[in-house]
Amino acid sequence: MLNRHKVKTIINFTLIFIKNSHMHSFFTKVMKSFIIVMIFFAFTHVLSAQQVVSGVVTDAQTGEPLIGANIVSKEVPTSGTITELDGSFSYELAPGTKSLIISYTGYNQSEESINGRTTINVQLSAGQLLEDIIVVGYGTVKRDDVTGSVQAVSAKDFNRGAITSPQELLAGKVAGVAITTGGGPDDGAQIRIRGQSSLSASNDPLIVIDGIPVESGGVSGNRNPLNIINPNDIETMTVLKDASATAIYGSRASAGVILITTKKGSLGSKFSVGYTGNVSVGNASNRVDVLQTDEYRNLIESTYPEGHPSRGLLGSSNTDWQDEIYRSAFGQDHNVNLSGSLGAFPYRASLGYTSKEGLLLTDKFERYSAGINISPKLLDNTLQLNLGLKTMLSNNRFAERGAIGSALTWDPTQTPLDANSQYSGYTTWIDQSTGNPNGLAPANPVALLNLRDDRSEVVRYITNVSADYRFKFLPSLRANLNVGYDYSKGKGSLFIPGNNEVAFAFQQNFGGGVENNYEQERTNSVMEFYLNYKKDIKDHSFDLMGGYSWQKFFTDNSFRNSDVANTPAQTVERNNIQDELFLVSLFSRLNYGFKNRYLLTLSLRSDATSRFSPDARQGLFPSAAFAVKLVDNKNTYFNALKLRTGWGVTGQQSIGGSYVYQAIYQQSLPNAAYQFGNEFINTYRPNGYDANIKWEETTTYNVGLDYSIINNKLYGTLDLYQRNTIDLLNFIQVPAGTNLTNFINTNIGNMVNKGVELGLNFVPISNDKMTWDIGFNAAYNTNEITKLTATEDPTYIGVATGGIAGGVGSNIQIHSVGFAPASFFVFQQLYNETGKILEGQFADRNGDGVVDDGDKYRYENPAADVLMGITSNIKYQNIDFSFAGRANLGNYVYNNVSTDMGYLQRLYHPTNYLQNVHRDAVTNNISEQRNTIFSDHYVRDASFFRIDHITLGYSFDKLIGRFMRVYATVQNPFVITTYEGLDPELGNGIDNNIYPRPRTFVFGVSVDF
Amino acid sequence: MKKLYVFLFIVIATTFSACFKDLDTVPLDPNLITSGTVFKNEAAYKQFLAKLYAGLAVSGQEGPAGAADISGIDEGFGQYLRGFWYHQQLTTDEALIGWNDQTIYDFHDLDWTPSDGFTFAFYSRIFYQISVCNEFLRETTDEKLNDRNVSAPVRAEIIDYRAEARFLRALSYWHALDVFRNVPFVTENDKVGAFFPNQIKAPELFNYIERELLDIENTIKAPRTNQYARADRAAVWTLLAKLYLNAETYTGQKKYNECLSVCEKVINAGYSLEPQYSHLFLADNHKSNEMIFPVAFDGNNTRTFGGMTFIIRAGIGGSINPLLSGVSGGWGGTRATRQFVEKFPADLTGVVVDFNVGANLSKIYVASTSNNFNGGDISSTLASKPGQNGTFEGYKYFNANDEFTLFRFPNSGKFGDNGADGTLESNGANIKVANAGLYFVRANLVNNTYILEKRDWSIVGSAVPGGEAPLVWNAELKMLRIITELNIGSLRLRANGNDMLTLGDPQLDGILNEGAGAINIAKSGGHDLIVDLARPDYTYQLKLTSFDKRGIFGTNGQVLDINTREDMGIFNNGYAVLKFKNVTSTGQLGSNADFPDTDFPMFRLADVYLMAAEAILRGANGSKATALGYSNTVRERAYTGTAGNITESELTLDFLLDERARELYWECHRRTDLVRFNKLTTGDYLWAWKGGVSQGQAVDPKYNIFPIPAADLSANPNLQQNPGYN
Repeated sequence: MLNRHKVKTIINFTLIFIKNSHMHSFFTKVMKSFIIVMIFFAFTHVLSAQQVVSGVVTDAQTGEPLIGANIVSKEVPTSGTITELDGSFSYELAPGTKSLIISYTGYNQSEESINGRTTINVQLSAGQLLEDIIVVGYGTVKRDDVTGSVQAVSAKDFNRGAITSPQELLAGKVAGVAITTGGGPDDGAQIRIRGQSSLSASNDPLIVIDGIPVESGGVSGNRNPLNIINPNDIETMTVLKDASATAIYGSRASAGVILITTKKGSLGSKFSVGYTGNVSVGNASNRVDVLQTDEYRNLIESTYPEGHPSRGLLGSSNTDWQDEIYRSAFGQDHNVNLSGSLGAFPYRASLGYTSKEGLLLTDKFERYSAGINISPKLLDNTLQLNLGLKTMLSNNRFAERGAIGSALTWDPTQTPLDANSQYSGYTTWIDQSTGNPNGLAPANPVALLNLRDDRSEVVRYITNVSADYRFKFLPSLRANLNVGYDYSKGKGSLFIPGNNEVAFAFQQNFGGGVENNYEQERTNSVMEFYLNYKKDIKDHSFDLMGGYSWQKFFTDNSFRNSDVANTPAQTVERNNIQDELFLVSLFSRLNYGFKNRYLLTLSLRSDATSRFSPDARQGLFPSAAFAVKLVDNKNTYFNALKLRTGWGVTGQQSIGGSYVYQAIYQQSLPNAAYQFGNEFINTYRPNGYDANIKWEETTTYNVGLDYSIINNKLYGTLDLYQRNTIDLLNFIQVPAGTNLTNFINTNIGNMVNKGVELGLNFVPISNDKMTWDIGFNAAYNTNEITKLTATEDPTYIGVATGGIAGGVGSNIQIHSVGFAPASFFVFQQLYNETGKILEGQFADRNGDGVVDDGDKYRYENPAADVLMGITSNIKYQNIDFSFAGRANLGNYVYNNVSTDMGYLQRLYHPTNYLQNVHRDAVTNNISEQRNTIFSDHYVRDASFFRIDHITLGYSFDKLIGRFMRVYATVQNPFVITTYEGLDPELGNGIDNNIYPRPRTFVFGVSVDF
Repeated sequence: MKKLYVFLFIVIATTFSACFKDLDTVPLDPNLITSGTVFKNEAAYKQFLAKLYAGLAVSGQEGPAGAADISGIDEGFGQYLRGFWYHQQLTTDEALIGWNDQTIYDFHDLDWTPSDGFTFAFYSRIFYQISVCNEFLRETTDEKLNDRNVSAPVRAEIIDYRAEARFLRALSYWHALDVFRNVPFVTENDKVGAFFPNQIKAPELFNYIERELLDIENTIKAPRTNQYARADRAAVWTLLAKLYLNAETYTGQKKYNECLSVCEKVINAGYSLEPQYSHLFLADNHKSNEMIFPVAFDGNNTRTFGGMTFIIRAGIGGSINPLLSGVSGGWGGTRATRQFVEKFPADLTGVVVDFNVGANLSKIYVASTSNNFNGGDISSTLASKPGQNGTFEGYKYFNANDEFTLFRFPNSGKFGDNGADGTLESNGANIKVANAGLYFVRANLVNNTYILEKRDWSIVGSAVPGGEAPLVWNAELKMLRIITELNIGSLRLRANGNDMLTLGDPQLDGILNEGAGAINIAKSGGHDLIVDLARPDYTYQLKLTSFDKRGIFGTNGQVLDINTREDMGIFNNGYAVLKFKNVTSTGQLGSNADFPDTDFPMFRLADVYLMAAEAILRGANGSKATALGYSNTVRERAYTGTAGNITESELTLDFLLDERARELYWECHRRTDLVRFNKLTTGDYLWAWKGGVSQGQAVDPKYNIFPIPAADLSANPNLQQNPGYN
């Protein structure tokens, strides 16, 4: 107990501390906040002395904690509490309370008399429908009471297979969420929620890991910014889609928000150990269609006459270069987790090891991860602390992905290795005039892979401490402090020994090799504090939350690029290139319920960022949502029907560059200096800027229906939305002469998204022996740019985008008003009566008598019109069988492999080397590339249906440990598509030598001891 | 209770407001400095000025690429000089390119459109230069310098800087005038930000540029007194001369008197023609006294993928050896048309008889002091003539007191001479040479004897003035050489004054035979004779020194014509232009084999001579004799002598147009010249692939200028498109 004198001392100390401290230090802020909270604690403890009952509510069958169970005083029904994420509760008895009623939707209610007990642990048995609590921004909400478009996916619904990174768990699970993961080991993913909301700024959703908003870009040397989390440690992933749910994240929420919650220990649980592990092997399931050796030889001989130099270049081997660069990729994954409760200290710890090879030779990813979580309840259960630490160490070796294109190009009559080659024994095209490797010819792909040693080591940890305090004197009031620190460091090196052909490719003059080193450090510090007041008064329920958030991002880069000999003229070195960004926000939310039937949510966030000028940096992001439970009846065919409507404003500020509004002089590096007399002057350049730049603003309207029918056997959601984005950040040309560059990022442009989303869960069978559930979702989305220029200009064609291979600086896509972003901008190919391409002949679409740039038109776009996902889980006694698949309809792909390689002129290069061609060169009989590159013939419908995984498992009771399951999974078993290229699933719609997605066989086991 | 809440509120409010201060960030990178603080360091003014110049040479703040100045195009393409070169050269007979990049063929086809990306990039570059020059002028006003308390010496320098900034702005506005004519107009009186500049018409822009240049004429440093690569008064005059010479094209008004007057100021300013034409375009051309205003490049300090890197490397491909141009490799792009090559006399090289490498001969190896007794040195050998089994001979140069031995195979057992008796012994002692000179060595490995005899060669005969002249050992070439006037007649080589020891070549096949007939000399004049006696197929090269040395082409493996569109993509079609090289005048390679040291001669004296001559022919107050004098001054350098001089009657405007091509090709003058002579678009003069057809054709006269890029038309509603492009 503290007396008033002591409180005063603390206050004085605090004041002095605040006065003297340096305001800019993160830790100072944390300290200050702690002090504030400590004062709260101290003071309330002076005043309070009521009896508190605590305990844990768990599922009677599984022992899993039940989140959000209601604990209500039987005698004073307006007083009560709900359980936390770990199922625990702490309830300060309302005067007169003799027993508690514990209820949980879908479970049978239980009544416990107190009889002087301070700890009451309750087990509830399941009723009909499992309902739960959903994590939303700064809090949780009962699924029943959700007013926005929010979807949670929990561990049991995750995708299966050799999965190294969280986003893969979610692919195909949520309507309107498109996740495209690359083919390499632990490749990052493109995540799009409800399509694209920005042109130049980021379209990546905000990811919040256990309350810590993390940066979307990863540290140098890391493959995937989300790989900090071991997928086995994830409890739920919640996708916030509409603005009434996301607006609480303000200026970063336009592209949606994904909340990731990790598993924690539960109070009072017994010590348990679990192991999961798998081994996997993946193979390339498809190959690019280039000519085989004999076809190639025949083509050369029929194209060029006897005596032509190409004839003498033909070799005598039969090489499938794609075979030479791809391999069977092995992987393994082992995880051990420990959990239990040491007194009032529930804990969970996990250790993981993952290693995964890429299909490309030398490509490898290896990760060690460890996580620990302690969540004690202190001070008579009024203080819930949560201490979390997640760490990851990954070692990468990156394969040179240029080898993919190079393998397609290499003459199949050549052998990869040539004992006579002076270039490390690899067959090499030589420049006749210098005797060095021909700098224009493709490098031997096997050499590219084997001679390039590109490695990185990444360390990352996220630590967060949260304290949630329920006031003694006002139990409806809760204070929550969350402090997080996300640190990552990536360092890597690229080494290429000198005097081999790869070295020549890098340094054409003398093949001196490469020795590059880089290091990057990133930190992300967060401090958030909020107060939450929750009160039910008769038919009215209030849940009011208000808080403050401070976040700092800091980056520190260093690099040194040189050759093997460290020649000074070849060396560029820079150290400690630093960058910082601050975000300061205030946020609040009111949830109001009337008769548990009408629900209202209002939220408001005020964000300020250092990225924009003082005049533009402050933004208000409001939202409102209203829902009504039309039907809420457990015993009919219509079990539940809830209508939701929402509106809200969100922003996007991730535009690259932390100082975009400022007039800045940039000094040149020494190799861009200018000579004055005998000295070289490093120059100062005034950079172009837009002093008024600010965030993009998206207004979302959403109407939704949550339904559950046929005795809760069929349930799901239906949503309609429209998103209007204004002040789109667009990288456009300035009127010549008006700025210090020709293009700047500025807020010009509007875009509209519209769509429908359907989520459907069906439980056809559910009995003791067998359960079968099916999840299906579908989403239809359209995007249209409605404005792009400051002045009305119907002749403005738009902003070119989508760089392609074939001519330096060529773009295939365009952002234009009236069309979807990144529509393909092409010529209309003409065909003869038999449907054959008429090479170089395009339609004169504007009818001006000549075919020129004015005849290009916008033809389709890369985004799918319709996304679908399906999941099926069948459990029959000890056997389980599941699969998941996805379909994209109406997504178009530009086959850049075909346009870049599908023409015959390419066969022989005048500097004396041979190249293979794509089969389309022969099929379409195309001679010149300039006739293919902008033809709409190569923009193809790439609709597809892909099965992500098929899994068969068998569970043993008490064979080893408490529980054991073995399973076999085929990941990516097949894709159904009419697209002829390697893979129809591409983020940007440009198929240019993509890394093939492996078909992977996985064998795994999980054991609980 | 209430007090506590008030207190808490204060604490929280303090914390929050402190946090809001965090939002006022400034860059942490020491290379990024806010405009408010950068000029605290007074050196920043000069560094800023350097950027105005660097804008012509590099593409951004990192070399060769990175932190680009402009966007929307590949950084190398967006470099100023490269863009200028595309517009001035690819549109003409002097150059075409074989790449596939977007609309790049449209330049030579003369059928570009307002949406052309290269044109937009160059246009953006011009206005980038103008904008940064404006910013410089805004940041160096007296008011600002007073505010910043700039020290007196720096203030004095800033007066020069401002004049140079205005020169550079005028230069870019002149490019805008020449290429686009009617362009948006911004000066230092406009601020950075969103506004729509007005369009200025060509005559007003002409007046503005003229006024600016006349205004700085007396402020800017006197000719040749500024630091190298910085503009001076002669640069201002030359720019005025170019403006005046083309005034009729731009405004319809003739300004030839004004042109001649400024040209003569330059001619009298102390510049002189570089004695050897080829040296003007080499890695050390910054030393040339002909250079009036260069764009400076450096292999280590000023790197770009545009500029000189592009000009040199894009011009190399096929079987042209890039190492001879001092670069690691070619990009296989640019070549010349037949019509341009034919402006030179058929004899492009002056070679009368060229080296004949002869047959492969069997050989033995000489290890000596000069090659560190390396018995495997394949460059030091004696060889066996056909039918001379076992006898190997050749001429070797030895220094005083050199020693040598012989090897049958590389590093096999050696032969020496014990006792210096003329017989060879296996593992014998080193053979010693007392005096320096060229020695005839003949070894007979059948009977193990050898001959070692010093021979001093000269040329004798009726062609040789005075009857005899010595051949001198040239250590760099490792050959004998003489550069001399020769008369019509004949000559032979003679050793040691001995008429029994002569070499001749009556067949003129490049092989010298002992005792053979004389070499006929058909033309009198300067000759360069180089003789290679290293192996018994004794060979030589005889060149005229007096020929037009300006046609520096790569012909090895190239054919002159480009017959089909497909052939345009293949480098071997069309002659390569090898005028620019990353090699110094003394044969040293530039400092980096990827990025040349060679500076681009934006303005040089020969151009001024030719402008002066043309101004006179077009009616300026000067005598035709003066014009002829200027023209012949240029031609005498080209021929290193008067052999190429023309007469007054030969001096016509058309001759001058051709002469400008011969003298100034690939230096970004050609499109302007052809427009001035009304030959760019008309049928008066056709060249291969003009108008997109192999034999060339006339095109719409609208192509005399380029359109305002569509991108700027939509960004700026005040602009009107040039005639014909709507």
